[in-house]
Amino acid sequence: MLQFILRRIAISTLILFLGSVLMYVLTINSADPLQDLRESRAENREQLMQARINNMGLDLPWWQRYLGWLTGVSKCFVLQCDLGTTRDGSDVNALLLSSAGASLRLVTVATFLAIFIGVALGVLSAIRQYSGFDYVITFGAFLFYSLPVFWAAVLLKDFGAIRFNNWIADPAVSTTATAVVALLFALALASLLGGGLRRQLVTGLITFVVVFGFVFAFDEVNWWVQPALGLPLILVGALGALGFMLVMTVGLANRKILYAGLVTIGLGLVSYVVLGPVLEDPANWWVILALVGVTVLVGAAVGWVMGGYERRTAMVVSVGTALGMAFLIFMDRLLRGWAGFLELAGNRPVSTIGENRIIPERFTGDFWESIFNWGVQLVLPTIVLTLISIASYSRYTRGSMLETINQDYIRTARSKGLSDRVVFTKHALRNALIPITTIVAFDFAALLGGAVITETIFGWRGLGAMFRLGLDTVDPNPVMAYYLVAGGAAVMMNMLADIAYASLDPRIRR
Amino acid sequence: MAVVAAGALALAGCTSDSGSEDSDTAAEGGGGEEDMSGETGDSGEGSEDSEDMGGEEGDTARADLGDVTPNDDSVSFSSGAEEYNAYNGNTAATNSTYNAVVNNQLQSGFWYWGTDGTIYPNEWFGSYEKTSDDPLTVEYTISDDAVWSDGTPITSNDFLLDWASTNPESMGGAEELGFDPVSTWSTYATEGLETEPGSKEFTVVYPEPYPDWEIAVSGPLPAHVAAEQAGLEPDELAQAILDGDAETVSQVSEFWNTGWLFPNYQVEDEALVPSSGPYTLEGAAWESGNQLALVPNENFFGPMPATGNLVYKFAAPETHVQALQNGDINVIEPQATVDTRQQLEGMGDMVAVEDNQQMTWEHLDFNFAESSVFSDENGGLAAREAFAMCVPRQNIIDNLIAPIAEDAQVLNARERFPFMEDYQELVDASYDGRYDEVDIEGASAKLEEAGLDNPEVRIGYSAPNQRRTEQVAQIKSSCDEAGFNIVDAGNPDFFEAGGTLESGDWEVALFAWAGSGQIASGEPIYSTGGSQNFGGFSNEEVDAAWDTLASSVDPEVHMEQLKVIEKALWDELYGIPLFTHPGIVGYDSTLENVRPTSVQTGVSWNADQWVRAS
Repeated sequence: MLQFILRRIAISTLILFLGSVLMYVLTINSADPLQDLRESRAENREQLMQARINNMGLDLPWWQRYLGWLTGVSKCFVLQCDLGTTRDGSDVNALLLSSAGASLRLVTVATFLAIFIGVALGVLSAIRQYSGFDYVITFGAFLFYSLPVFWAAVLLKDFGAIRFNNWIADPAVSTTATAVVALLFALALASLLGGGLRRQLVTGLITFVVVFGFVFAFDEVNWWVQPALGLPLILVGALGALGFMLVMTVGLANRKILYAGLVTIGLGLVSYVVLGPVLEDPANWWVILALVGVTVLVGAAVGWVMGGYERRTAMVVSVGTALGMAFLIFMDRLLRGWAGFLELAGNRPVSTIGENRIIPERFTGDFWESIFNWGVQLVLPTIVLTLISIASYSRYTRGSMLETINQDYIRTARSKGLSDRVVFTKHALRNALIPITTIVAFDFAALLGGAVITETIFGWRGLGAMFRLGLDTVDPNPVMAYYLVAGGAAVMMNMLADIAYASLDPRIRR
Repeated sequence: MAVVAAGALALAGCTSDSGSEDSDTAAEGGGGEEDMSGETGDSGEGSEDSEDMGGEEGDTARADLGDVTPNDDSVSFSSGAEEYNAYNGNTAATNSTYNAVVNNQLQSGFWYWGTDGTIYPNEWFGSYEKTSDDPLTVEYTISDDAVWSDGTPITSNDFLLDWASTNPESMGGAEELGFDPVSTWSTYATEGLETEPGSKEFTVVYPEPYPDWEIAVSGPLPAHVAAEQAGLEPDELAQAILDGDAETVSQVSEFWNTGWLFPNYQVEDEALVPSSGPYTLEGAAWESGNQLALVPNENFFGPMPATGNLVYKFAAPETHVQALQNGDINVIEPQATVDTRQQLEGMGDMVAVEDNQQMTWEHLDFNFAESSVFSDENGGLAAREAFAMCVPRQNIIDNLIAPIAEDAQVLNARERFPFMEDYQELVDASYDGRYDEVDIEGASAKLEEAGLDNPEVRIGYSAPNQRRTEQVAQIKSSCDEAGFNIVDAGNPDFFEAGGTLESGDWEVALFAWAGSGQIASGEPIYSTGGSQNFGGFSNEEVDAAWDTLASSVDPEVHMEQLKVIEKALWDELYGIPLFTHPGIVGYDSTLENVRPTSVQTGVSWNADQWVRAS
């Protein structure tokens, strides 16, 4: 294994090196770096040109410029990276750090969301192969996969920012809109749950009524401006989380585990009341993290005490349920901060550009409101990135899942009388996910590098923006810094995928 | 205030409705402008400015808002994605428009550009007077109230450093001193400043007459900061400069080059960047990569800024229009295209749109090299005249420019623009309107006279550029009728070193010069052997006139010589001016005092006056 990794690293380094030569040469030959000065009539035009030639070493042959860059980069081995300066003298190291930070924030959420939703949709559409649900997901996947990012992003800004802001100033949902939303939910759920026509009708009708009721009620209480979940919704959500955990593990067969989950929810309710003052305005994220830690501990303890012979499963279920409930309580508090944030943002909460709605230094709101300050700015670009990744995830997962389902051992599992739930979650899903690891790794690397357009349109100063700026000014240093990160990430993720693959799939272990 | 508000509203109303009554800053003054100049009349200072300059150009100067107290509001502006990164914008590495837009608010000086390129003095900063023509001598007096935001008075020390840093030659050479400046005025004032350290007065003597003396001395950087950082007393540094003590002066060059930069996009030590302008970095909020909010300079000695937070957003131009609609950026200066104009106008009353003419102007230049059909060996003047007759200038304006800027017109001069006061005078004296109308028959006759049969004319430009491609297409459709064979020779490396322009594979070059507002900056373009005289034009009369112009400081002489030059350029046909580039400004219609300018500083030239109607 070690030999394998070392060989991979050696090959990857070589590829990175060759790629960097190619990238460098392509960049410096992409246009005329003095373009903007040539039509200038400034008196000191010649001197400006000369200064830029000196700054960027334009009079040197390409290999000398490249070697200069390489020398700086090779200092990375002694932890003193010198990525050079941009055309106007700013430090690329600092630029890279801040850009990478922004890009990671953007890409991380998008990647996790995309994996979670994409895999779930893929599995569901594989299970319901050739159903209406499957067709809709397939259609949507191809639609989003082929969506031009710049167009989708601009549209999203128009609807998600400009019109949303106009709407939130005086929010009201018309009855028609409510009905349409409810109808969409009804159709989705009915086709997802499947069954005979009669059953689908009933599901659809119930969903319609429930969703319609909710939206109507939200509208009545002006929920859009003063949202909150409230105890009942938290409770419903927590039960949902418990249900999900049970479905994924043992079902209702083991009553002890069910009771452990219920006790966890009960403890959650108690803590909701007790911890109210702390959650009013927590000092910082450490408080939240500490509470998460406590949640996990309590959940694990309940599972351990009540689990009986299936102690481990009970712990998993309890912890999962506890975390789900904690998340809901967190969201409840967060939503309560919305009204305050709206006020701070002058009733235009979503900005079309930038990483923060209000300059952080000037932001006066409390902990929850400050989450909105950067959180809302994350929403739109994340939607764009997620939509595109979801498409590919759902397709791959569906294919992989179908292949697994049709294998002999699944038929065997069914024929010995296992329920659908056990067959799908325990036997099929785990094996179907193995190929997905490769795609996740690829996708993460590609997202880092491929967010150029999204970043530009949403005014994020990420790696993509740095790359673009460098290319626009025919300035190799930022472009190469981008290359180092994007190329490095691709190579690294590839390797991680290979290693993960080896450890997940015993067949390829040698 | 109410009058201005009403004016702004009226202006906003008319722009979004029809767009037909857009204000013409230059020639007539639109509704908004008139109201503002009405305000100007109320108090002394503003109107005095314009009287001093001998014109009634009050509406190209800054409006006088009277006593202003900064409010708590914030107004945002974006000049593009490039981030501010240097308090010292005079080094070779940092001299850029995106530094300038911010530094303009931090560093004030003796004068500013009006919206048409007129030079207006900042009377609150100080005064200056030309006391002698031979040798050219200018006396400067800095206002007693003028202080840096840290309380240090602005004195001759600051200007001495300004001079020394931008003029290494006079003090032992660039290597000796170590400054890395873009050259400026001081290379003309080789003798240095006559003054005492720490004085409020100084005198500049130019050994050679220098027509652009008035814009030569502007706003300095804080010398006391540089001196302290180098371990010197401020007066000690000033004395060293006066004494020509290069060794001492060179101690500050390191700091001058690098100490006023923000490589991490943060102000690390606010004490190093005091302000002499309406806003300051001290207490500003800077979110790296996104935005920079300047705050008012409490110690400012001039008119206080109107708005409490001036926010610069570093956002790519393609995001500007939507950001304006959403209120994220309040003032934008997008690329002037028909699309942007329609988009902005489609936003209704929320957004006001104004267009104007920039100092950048498009033109067709002939190639006088031997291989060209227009050279005197080949077709000569007759061929050039034939071409000038068939170029459909009015059509080009009507089709390509008028949809963007209502007041677009054919440009008939090279050294003055239609929005300038003396444009008409110059045109009247130099051009009789002979190429106003397309004359195909005349062109054919001239072509015959030149002895050319269906000559190939390659029009070169830097591609891709849609507007220029369309211009060439229109010229082709007209001139091919007259017997030319026009070839679109646009290519990406037209302007590059070793590109088409240098190799001479063109008969006509189509490009634009960005006017600088300087008086003698046209010399390298039109004089024999000039560095920007790409076509190789040569005319003794023109050369002599430029010599006279460049060695005079008298505006009347300048005008007189310009008439000679322009007439010769028309008669001999150096090239054909086409139009000034249109500019568009879109802004939140609740804002007052947003005024486009033709000068390269851009719409933020008076950003300290922007204020939301209360």
